[in-house]
Amino acid sequence: MKNIISKIFIAFMALFMMVGCSQDFLDDPKPTDAVSPDVVFTSRTGVEAFISGIMRRFRGQYTRTDAAGLNSMFFARTMKGNDLIQANTWFRDDYANDNREPTYTRSSFSWNYSFYMINQANALINGVEGSTLGDSDKKELAAYGYALRGFFYHQLVLEFCPTYSADKNFPAPPIYTELSLAGKPMSTVDEVYKLIVSDLTKAVNGLTANRLGKSYINKNVAQGILAQVYQVMGNWQGAADAAKASYGGNPTAVLSPSTYRSGFNDISNLEWIWGSAQRTDQSNYYWNAPASMADHTTVSYSATYVNNDFVNLFSATDVRAYFVRKSTSITSTTDYRYWTTRKFKFTFDSDNAIIRTPEMILIEAEAKARLTGKESEGHDLLYVLQKNRDVNAVKSTNTGAALINEILVERRKELYAEVGVEWFDAKRLRRGITRTGNHRIGASASLTADDKKFFLKIPQSEIDANDFIDDSVNDNR
Amino acid sequence: MRSKFKWIITLLITLSMQFSFAQEKVIKGVVSDSSGPIPGVNVVVKGTKVGIQTDFDGKFSIQAKTGDVLVFSFVGLEDKSVTVGSSTSLNVKLQAMAKSLDEVVVVAYGKQTAKSIVGSVATIDSEVLLKQQATNVMTALQGSVAGVNIIAAGGMPGENPTIRIRGTGSINASSDPLIILDGAPFNGNLNSISSDQIESMSVLKDASSTALYGSRGANGVILITTKRGKYNTAPKVSLTSTLGFAGNAVPLHKMVGSDRYMQLNWEALKNTNQYVSLQTPAVAGANASTALVPRLGYNPYTAATPVDANGNLTTTNKKWDTDWADLMLNNSAVRTEHTLSIAAGGEDTKYYFTTNYLSQEGNVVTSKFDRVTTRLSVDTKVNSWLKSGVTMFFSTSDQNFPSQSGSSYQSAIQFVYTVPSIYPAYRVDESGDLILDGKGQRIFDYGATPGQALNGNRPQLNNENAYGSLYNYKIGYKRDNYTANAFLEATLAKDLTFKTTFAYDKYLYDSFVYASNEVGYASNVKGRVTQNRDVTTGINIINALNYKKVFGDHGFAVDLIQEAYRYKYDALGAQGEGFLPGVQVLNGATTPTSASGYIAEDRISSYLGRLSYNFKEKYFVEGSFRRDGSSRFNPDVRWGSFYAVGGSWIISEENFLKDSNAITSLKLRGSYGELGNNQTQDANGNATYFPYQQLFETGYNEGDNTGVVLGGAVDPNLSWEKTASSNVGLDFGFFNNRITGSVDYYDKKSIDLLYNKPVAGSTGNTGILTNVGSLRNYGWEFALSTTNVQNSKFMWTTGVNLSFDKNEVAELTQKSFINGTKRWEVGRSLYEYYIQEWAGVDPVDGYGMWYKDILGTDGKPTGEKETTKKYAEASRNYSGATSLPKAIGGVTNFFKYKNVDLNILFNFSYGASVYDSTYASLMEGFESSGRAAHQDVENRWQNPGDVTDVPLLLTANNDFNATSTRFLFKNDYIRLKALNFGYNFSASALEQFHLSKLRLYLQGDNLWTYQSHKGIDPEQSFAGTTNSRSYNQRIMSFGVNIEF
Repeated sequence: MKNIISKIFIAFMALFMMVGCSQDFLDDPKPTDAVSPDVVFTSRTGVEAFISGIMRRFRGQYTRTDAAGLNSMFFARTMKGNDLIQANTWFRDDYANDNREPTYTRSSFSWNYSFYMINQANALINGVEGSTLGDSDKKELAAYGYALRGFFYHQLVLEFCPTYSADKNFPAPPIYTELSLAGKPMSTVDEVYKLIVSDLTKAVNGLTANRLGKSYINKNVAQGILAQVYQVMGNWQGAADAAKASYGGNPTAVLSPSTYRSGFNDISNLEWIWGSAQRTDQSNYYWNAPASMADHTTVSYSATYVNNDFVNLFSATDVRAYFVRKSTSITSTTDYRYWTTRKFKFTFDSDNAIIRTPEMILIEAEAKARLTGKESEGHDLLYVLQKNRDVNAVKSTNTGAALINEILVERRKELYAEVGVEWFDAKRLRRGITRTGNHRIGASASLTADDKKFFLKIPQSEIDANDFIDDSVNDNR
Repeated sequence: MRSKFKWIITLLITLSMQFSFAQEKVIKGVVSDSSGPIPGVNVVVKGTKVGIQTDFDGKFSIQAKTGDVLVFSFVGLEDKSVTVGSSTSLNVKLQAMAKSLDEVVVVAYGKQTAKSIVGSVATIDSEVLLKQQATNVMTALQGSVAGVNIIAAGGMPGENPTIRIRGTGSINASSDPLIILDGAPFNGNLNSISSDQIESMSVLKDASSTALYGSRGANGVILITTKRGKYNTAPKVSLTSTLGFAGNAVPLHKMVGSDRYMQLNWEALKNTNQYVSLQTPAVAGANASTALVPRLGYNPYTAATPVDANGNLTTTNKKWDTDWADLMLNNSAVRTEHTLSIAAGGEDTKYYFTTNYLSQEGNVVTSKFDRVTTRLSVDTKVNSWLKSGVTMFFSTSDQNFPSQSGSSYQSAIQFVYTVPSIYPAYRVDESGDLILDGKGQRIFDYGATPGQALNGNRPQLNNENAYGSLYNYKIGYKRDNYTANAFLEATLAKDLTFKTTFAYDKYLYDSFVYASNEVGYASNVKGRVTQNRDVTTGINIINALNYKKVFGDHGFAVDLIQEAYRYKYDALGAQGEGFLPGVQVLNGATTPTSASGYIAEDRISSYLGRLSYNFKEKYFVEGSFRRDGSSRFNPDVRWGSFYAVGGSWIISEENFLKDSNAITSLKLRGSYGELGNNQTQDANGNATYFPYQQLFETGYNEGDNTGVVLGGAVDPNLSWEKTASSNVGLDFGFFNNRITGSVDYYDKKSIDLLYNKPVAGSTGNTGILTNVGSLRNYGWEFALSTTNVQNSKFMWTTGVNLSFDKNEVAELTQKSFINGTKRWEVGRSLYEYYIQEWAGVDPVDGYGMWYKDILGTDGKPTGEKETTKKYAEASRNYSGATSLPKAIGGVTNFFKYKNVDLNILFNFSYGASVYDSTYASLMEGFESSGRAAHQDVENRWQNPGDVTDVPLLLTANNDFNATSTRFLFKNDYIRLKALNFGYNFSASALEQFHLSKLRLYLQGDNLWTYQSHKGIDPEQSFAGTTNSRSYNQRIMSFGVNIEF
């Protein structure tokens, strides 16, 4: 009898366990390191967290040391010019103007990364517009998304197409304004620019001067991006207005020449309108070009050198003439390792500049120099900057094309190694870049006017996975 | 519970105090087999320590009492038990042991006789494990079991090998087999188990045998059963101790020495000046002479210009000549292992206790693995209808694991193959003299001394010194594993049993990385400590109801099982920077840089049933079905159904074969089933637990602001990956089972593959994990074992196994898909190389050439080819070579002559190719500054007309060593994987020492390797690519085993 009771007890226990396990057993586990869309789009704080996350993605250890965010795209542009020289290490294929085939890193990274950010921006725009947030919050937060989308579409069209003035009908990257898992067909350069201008206009209208920090976009930043876009499009009035609005209109108030030699690593610098800020706990470590490449005084790649011809452009009293020889033992000026720059100080918390006031001042100067009747205004503005950088600066007598060229040289001197200024100007103005001086790879990497090497081929992975794009897309690239 | 525990302890104590009071007498007799009397047969009185061995004439004499049971055992023969009767004389005949169909095999949720198995199961027992030094038990399967392909993890002891059972069945989900330890899924690290604790390992390969693990059985299942005590045996103590030394299993690539390095580098510079910059040979040579040292950055020679304008050395006197391999590789690594085990059993209770200590140094200096494991199992019969048992297992290990494989700057093997001997290990000044620190000690040279133009800036792996990093950095892993398994089995009624099994394991993983505060990659933040402590908890509960009944000729068995699996991963990590010298704990950090933590859970709930039927134990049919819900999938689609059916026919039981002398046993079996896989993982191979949820990921903080980003696109209806698998096999035994073996054909095809379907990058995602696409693996497996000679003095047995696996992509979402050196295309293997074809060197100018397809007017290749010197123009094509071997297998030979025995295991692989990127880098031909070179560069093109396969040396940009068939090599190998040579002292010799066994042996692992491509270990990766892995070890040990 006792036996039977025990057996029944065991059978009962077993049944109990079976039932006990099935109740909610599979529903209990929940992700702990991620949040649902409801959390993000039901409060301004939530959306701001999403915006912060997107801004953090401006840098990241994506695929390789030379594919680590916006800074890598900018530095690759720098590498394509004549002013800087890269040792035989990371970015060497960009330096050789050779990193553009459909399966190469630059093509796939510039494409996938820009579209990754555009997708985040679309998620932001759609999420905010479909949310129950207040109207003013909605407008401002959506405007943030438009600014991001405009900015990254501009990077895309710069990377993958001939410039706006060269061929407006050239096939351009597909346009997405909402989330999609299906690839879309190529658009045209013109369509992309229409979207960019529309997005940035909405951004300028919706954003205010407030922001969560200098690594975020506000109205001034949106105006700065728009100024660059108009500069490429040749809308000089628009460029002048947007650039001026971006820096505020008082050049001497937003310039601080003494900070030029403080290492270019601090986002709080008065001259920085927008940057990407690192902290030691939020670092891209050695992937943070230009600083990780160009600083020869500390432990890092020590890979970037400066062309003798470029060094010679600077007067001795120019605050920006901050060059130092690699080593006294290198005596031949034909050795590409002759000059290095001390502009960038590399630490794990070095910040990167994206838009600075001198760039805006020079955009305004260039735009005005091209606008009828405003040339002298532009020239004056240029001289304000020149004098600010070099106490001994003398105002030139240049006019017309000579003045424009003077402004372009000033842009290179001011912005070198930051945003790829030399490449950007040569591309938008349909000029070539001829390698001179003590290059490691010389003439073979020169670019002719409208050279196809000014843009990249469409990545093979896109062609393979997109029903609307086939191999022929690269026939003319 | 507490009182029960007490009771068990009491029982354990009393067990070891048994006395016998009955009247004893001397039993005498002869033991023989079909060939005559056998010496050395163990004769033991069951349940006691009393035991002797037969003499050279097979005679024995032992004290026993009436009713005692004498057990006769001898290697290769069946044990025989005889009860002592009234007679004092006893002659015994032993039968040859072969894979008998009545042998019991551990299968899913239980045991079956080999006869009744309808699927494909391969088993290795402790005998196989004892004859190898498997620091990681899984490596013992290599060469011993057909259908299992194993690639060892390199030269770091304790690392887990990659295991594939019948090919790779998944692309974006794990292809690792499921490991079941004593009936429950094992969640810890396999390296925590020592091989001496294992009774047997069963490899379940087909659908029928794995079906009861169906939800996770698609990649095969490995069942590990640990040793347990035996009822009615006297306590037996076994002690084993080994000491050995280890070095590289195969020689390294041969590198150019310093002198030739300088001269060849000069030649590369001169060639560039002459052929690219078009200087006259004389000017080119002179310029090369002056450019050489600046290019290298270092000058080990006593002359400022070590190579003159004609390429001759001006001196051979050097201030240093560094042999990096000699510094960093350990050719006398010490391995010690000690095991103590105690086993005993009484009428109602049995136990087994074992503890093992292992210490093994790795291939790279300072790398070391230390482990202590203990295991205790106790089984008891509570009463006539209730049994219970418990196993407790604890293991702790400590691994010093300096970076040695892969492409990080401090990785030892990469360093050996990147930095030539002309660079110093220790810092030198501009004149080449050693710089000493304040204590007069040498300082490691990191090749990054700011401001020192000469001997201060190494072009390759700058700011690292892998040799120094072995001492300046610390990478260590500590693992503690605790497992408790318990079962309760009740006979509820005649033929009806209920068994509940509970398994719990807790695994603590502590990883520690210290980067130096003074040198290397974290020196600019004064050092960094990164520490993670992850706790894994697994609970598995199985309730099983079993009914077995025989009605006349009809046998039935029914299992109804319910199972719940719960896995929890609790991660915690912290990182800090800024340390004082010698301080390596987070407390010493000036800046805490990060803290992280999360919890992941994974659960499976299952209901399953198995029904088997046999008629006259001749025809067997078995079917099983299970339903599993996984928390990894959306509630709507999380339940998957899996089933298998199988049957077998014992042909040898039929009348027409029953009396055959030649055919002892013959069995045909076949099975079909659909199995599942839910092991979703990310691109880095880490498990993903919520792959169906579109979420915003945390951890993307921007400054002080919390940040989240939209995670990758997901398929909300993602569900189980299934594999349909069929198997047909034949088991046979000839000539009284002197020859036994099996042949299997299998065909596995995935349905609803978990596949990261590529999507257009312009959508913001490059892929989405979904159920689409299909892979097929199929092939043949053969196993044969023979008893070649067996007589009273000499025995020789042989085992051979062979597997032929093929792989095919059966369905993709796009036409083709480039994946590294492969292109996946429907109808092709995942493993066929798709790379540029090398066309040799143009004798005219020494430039490398590749083949390029000639295109027809339609733009498609005509099939004809031409050569090109532009790599970008070279066509990529299927090379016909694959990284999947055509055949793998192993051969074991066992010899025993009197007291001496010898076991030799070879394993081999045939038909695979490997792309040796290390060799490619060594054959670069001085294009990069200061990079090491292989001796094969001596065969370079030098003058017009030279016919060679090595292009001219050139420092100018070139693609000569770009990916092509130039570096694709056949990778056939045969390896003497294990050799065990032992001597057993005879019982008579041991009697006076009160020992029942004393065995001395030599054990060698990886003693000899033939390989078609030399320089790297033949075991690299299934993808056939290399990654500067540290070298597998050759180990030679001496061991002693004592039992009493």
